[in-house]
Amino acid sequence: MSRQPFILTAEGLNKSFAGFQAIRDLSFYLDIGELRTVIGPNGAGKSTFLDLITGRTRPDSGALMFEEKDDLLKLNEYQIQRLGIGRKFQTPTVYTRHTVYENLLLSLAGSRGLWSSLFHRTKPAEDERIDEILQVIKLSDRAYDRAGSLAHGQKQWLEIGMLLAQDAKLMLVDEPAAGMTDEETHRTGELLMSLAGPRTIVVIEHDMTFVRQISAGRKVTVLHQGGILCEGSIDRVQNDERVIEVYLGRKSRARAKPKAKPQANSHAA
Amino acid sequence: MKEKTFSRTHLLILGLLSILLIVVLPVANAHGYISNFQLNTWGKYLCYAMLAISVDLLWGYTGLLSLGQAMFFTLGGYMFGMHLMLMIGRLGSYQSDLPDFMVFSGLTTLPSFWQPFYSFSFSMLMVVLLPALVALAFGFLAFRARIKGVYFSILTQALTYSAALLFFRNELMMGGDNGFTGFRRLFGAEIRSPEVQRWLFVATGIALVATYVFCRWLTRSKFGLIQQAVRDIEARVLFSGYSAAAFKLFVFVLSAVIASIGGALYVAQVGSINPNAMTPDKSLEAVVWCAVGGRGTLVGPIIGAVSVNAAKSWATQAYPDLWLIMLGAIFVLVVLFMPRGLVGLPAQFAWAGRRINAFIQERRGRRPNSDDDGNDGGDDDSGGPGTSRQPPDPPTEASAMSDPVPADPPGDPANPHARGQTEPPLTPAAQPQPRRTSADPDPSTP
Amino acid sequence: MPSRFLIRTLLALTLACFTKQAGGQQGGHVIVGEPEPTELPQPGGMIQPPANAREVVIEALMSTDPAEQAALVRSLLGSGDPDAVGLLTAWREGYIYYHDDFEGDRFPVRFDGEADGVGRRNVVRLDNGEPVPGVGGQPMRATENQLELAFTDSRLRQAMRSVTDMAALVADNHNRRLAAVRGIALEQNPDKIEALELRLPLEPSRQIQREIEVAIAMSQLRLPEREIKLAACRELERLTPIPARDTLRSLAREAETDGDDELAAAATDALAAIERHITRVNAAGTVFRGLSSGSILLIAAIGLAITFGLMGVINMAHGELIAVGAYTAYIVQCVFQSGLRLSPFGYSVAIPGFNASEGWFQAYFLFAIPLSFLVAALVGLAIERTIIRHLYRRPLESLLATWGLSLVLQQLFRLVFGASNVQVESPVWLSGNWTVYGVMFGWNRVFVIGFALLIILVTYLFLNRTRFGLLVRAVVQNRQMAACMGVRTERVNMITFAFGSGLAGLAGAFLSQIGNVGPSLGQSYLIDSFMTVVVGGVGKLIGTVISAFSIGMADQSLQQILLNPVLGKILVLLAIILFLQFRPKGLFTTQNRSLEE
Repeated sequence: MSRQPFILTAEGLNKSFAGFQAIRDLSFYLDIGELRTVIGPNGAGKSTFLDLITGRTRPDSGALMFEEKDDLLKLNEYQIQRLGIGRKFQTPTVYTRHTVYENLLLSLAGSRGLWSSLFHRTKPAEDERIDEILQVIKLSDRAYDRAGSLAHGQKQWLEIGMLLAQDAKLMLVDEPAAGMTDEETHRTGELLMSLAGPRTIVVIEHDMTFVRQISAGRKVTVLHQGGILCEGSIDRVQNDERVIEVYLGRKSRARAKPKAKPQANSHAA
Repeated sequence: MKEKTFSRTHLLILGLLSILLIVVLPVANAHGYISNFQLNTWGKYLCYAMLAISVDLLWGYTGLLSLGQAMFFTLGGYMFGMHLMLMIGRLGSYQSDLPDFMVFSGLTTLPSFWQPFYSFSFSMLMVVLLPALVALAFGFLAFRARIKGVYFSILTQALTYSAALLFFRNELMMGGDNGFTGFRRLFGAEIRSPEVQRWLFVATGIALVATYVFCRWLTRSKFGLIQQAVRDIEARVLFSGYSAAAFKLFVFVLSAVIASIGGALYVAQVGSINPNAMTPDKSLEAVVWCAVGGRGTLVGPIIGAVSVNAAKSWATQAYPDLWLIMLGAIFVLVVLFMPRGLVGLPAQFAWAGRRINAFIQERRGRRPNSDDDGNDGGDDDSGGPGTSRQPPDPPTEASAMSDPVPADPPGDPANPHARGQTEPPLTPAAQPQPRRTSADPDPSTP
Repeated sequence: MPSRFLIRTLLALTLACFTKQAGGQQGGHVIVGEPEPTELPQPGGMIQPPANAREVVIEALMSTDPAEQAALVRSLLGSGDPDAVGLLTAWREGYIYYHDDFEGDRFPVRFDGEADGVGRRNVVRLDNGEPVPGVGGQPMRATENQLELAFTDSRLRQAMRSVTDMAALVADNHNRRLAAVRGIALEQNPDKIEALELRLPLEPSRQIQREIEVAIAMSQLRLPEREIKLAACRELERLTPIPARDTLRSLAREAETDGDDELAAAATDALAAIERHITRVNAAGTVFRGLSSGSILLIAAIGLAITFGLMGVINMAHGELIAVGAYTAYIVQCVFQSGLRLSPFGYSVAIPGFNASEGWFQAYFLFAIPLSFLVAALVGLAIERTIIRHLYRRPLESLLATWGLSLVLQQLFRLVFGASNVQVESPVWLSGNWTVYGVMFGWNRVFVIGFALLIILVTYLFLNRTRFGLLVRAVVQNRQMAACMGVRTERVNMITFAFGSGLAGLAGAFLSQIGNVGPSLGQSYLIDSFMTVVVGGVGKLIGTVISAFSIGMADQSLQQILLNPVLGKILVLLAIILFLQFRPKGLFTTQNRSLEE
């Protein structure tokens, strides 16, 4: 009986920062083509988990495999990217002093070598692909503006565009909807759902409407204190006792201060 | 829109300046309109300009402040100097086949590593190869360990320092304290003769123009885009799949070679080289040229090298005691008030003018939008990254390109100065109302 | 170990006092010229010093029998009378003459005063020091040729040397005795064994006793008797004196050619023991030098550990702040002496001095220490307010601006104090050294180690036990958060930077005691200081401490091995670069998420 290999296998991951256990015995399996949503309260270790996958931080212990053959712990950031793992950061991270066009050009799938970059001439196909992406992210008319001059939401779109340009097998998307309008958020959801299948996607999000939109009929993982609290369909998760407890503790405080996620707010403000 | 590497006006100006350097000045010298001394002085400045470009390629374009460039410059000088020392032949004061300093320290045969330097082409090869190898070895280790920012500066400073210590030693057989001097012949001709010096000037001019053209091409290629991305947000470059270390290593080796070629030409024109030229202070002086002219541009370092050195020639004559104070003060002022150097001054004035204008209008009209923080990004419509076409950043934003440890919140490698909120009006098509908060994450209230 | 040192020092001090008193007594007798024979304070002394050494010398001079002369001179053996030594030396070197006066009396004389045009000088009686009356009651004047020189033969000279040697052996001054014993040891003259053996039980200092034993054993090697040589070898094996190596080597060779295996083996064993001893001494010396050069690094780098390590400011003018401290020490020293005259920019500035008495002058350094700190801190404050304040988030720019500043400061030093080094004298209590089993400890080096520890302690207490230190650490960890909590970060920055600068000034005051003070003083410490902080890791003082001592040790060990300071330095730099391969952020890093880029 042959099963399809997991695209991502994480087993027994641990990571602590100066005494603070950010990831605690985390095991996580991801099937090819999945669109998995990861939710969890602040400090649950969501972004740290992505940091571990992309080689930004090294775990203290545990194993991380890509497609069950590549040991991610032995590779560094750019080697992991070249395996086909792309990432969008929590706060939009683009080349602010480069134009939107250049941002996409640098992210476009293709050789990442030094020599090829020296003698690179943009091929018509590449230009076409960039135009296509520019239309998807609705930045065609700002293609030659510096990315630093974009609005927060536009930067989010640009980074999503860069992820698209990269043509990654596994896309790690950290809070794509922050700073977007409801309509844009919805469109992001549609985009992600259309990508799932040929690509595998992990989305970290707080916006529950958005989560409901993209996780219909899919698996949701709840992280808490660096470990998996519960996993399953969105309805199951939302009715899980432990999940409610974890969030309720926060909720009472969140009511007093309507901003549920001060960190993201301080950036958006 | 997208720019070409060389626009037509650009080519025209470049061509005219090149002809001036390579043809007009030497011809004027041959006909006596320019004195030999002046031509020689300018030749020296051009060599310094190459050193300054090598600093800028690292600092202005890649965000690596190397304090080792004077070492590469001097190494190049030593490599060519070895050939020139051997060409003295028996014309030295001891009338020996060996260079004078070797006779003085009691040597009777030429050390074996000196032998190949009888050949001009070998010496030229070493001018390129030795600094490249040193840069390769050091850069490999430094970039592999992800040493950057001030750590890189401190380490390159230490490297230069130890190289100077090494060359001060007589045992190295490189002339010790006094280094090389007393050159006599190049290609069989008297090296101090006006003709040879004129040809050396032409060679320097060609080398400088070639360096400029090459660097212009490089910084405008996709390589240049990545190079400048490394400068701005190195972490993002890694997550885009580029080995930042490889790019940095390439630039480091390349600028070592550029500095070295400048040094070789310098030695032939100045007529001496010694380990004092290798001290970290000399590197920092080259950084001053670069900063004064305007880093992150290619004309800036050239302008800076020539103007600071011209000022130095004048001041060391007029106020020998005060020159160092002036140099230091210039540098402090430039760093504090002219982050874009001379090249950036017009734009800086324009920016200041707009600010003043806006301020006056604001006082007069009390516009509702008066608390706009004057973000310069809004009126920025130029496409060329990191070139002189860029509008000036106010001094606070210059930190973005040199701050190696952005104090971001966790999980965010982004430029802390990237501003997203205070933007100019957006086009109607893309005018979203950014939501200020993420949605309520509480799953218990579906 | 320290307690043993302490006890030994106390012991040595007590003994020194004892001998000093005894010596004073002795000296008193000589001056007063008391007739009774004096005794050495120690019972059992076998040599009775004569009633009056001068009389004995004169008696010997008057004797016509060379054997009696020698015997008389020899009778002075063991006397510490400097008078006798002076007279005998003068006699041996031909400065003593005889004069027969009109009454036919013959007495020894010496010349005195300046020679006149024809080379005549005053003639003075040796016994009472009065001028010899000449014709008409005038003091007699004569040339050297007019008088009869007091001759010496080799036996007499031998006796004289023994006496002078022995006189040195009983000198009041510890160091003089030590030097004398060492000199005798190197002579390896068997004739002196007797004198040495006589002195051995009387010698109060353990250290000198040991040296006397060495001298005896080394001299015994020159005796013909095989048994004595053998015993001497054993003795040397126990004592392990380094100068005995050559003799032992030749002895071993000779014994081997003679077929005397036992003696050869004994000599070889002694040699081996000495070699082992040398290795130990060298190791100990290296450790000590490593500690002291580590301390120097630490003192120079501690200010930088604060400004660079904690605040992230690259202050290239740090070296100049060290120089500010050193020049402050220089000015204080001049004020304690006769003042200082400076002429910067063509103006003439005179700083008056109050010509302190010797005792007060010795204390100048105690005043220089706080002043150096204060002046450098003020300069640092000015730098912070004018330049650094604008560049907190731009480390590379602060590097460049402060380098410009360092050029300005260096040139100012040159214009004010001159381009050459100025002379800063060490107080007596910082000079001199202390030798323990062949390892020499310079006082200033010992002091530097102690001082480094003191500075660390002060800095530690400042940062960890004061309220202000708490604020500093808060600002270092999270500037914005600290500002939000109401900490006046600007002021904290200002004071922290001034504190770091003051520490640099302190370093300058100390470095002025062990090195040159010149305009480029700071430059020589800058790179080392930076390397120390980089290796130690920013943000932790303990890292700087460990790194300073490691670099100091590595530097000194490499110098010991390579016998080449420059090569050692280069290797250390290379080692640091390699070290950063494995720990790019230094030995100690504050590991938290916000610091990770």
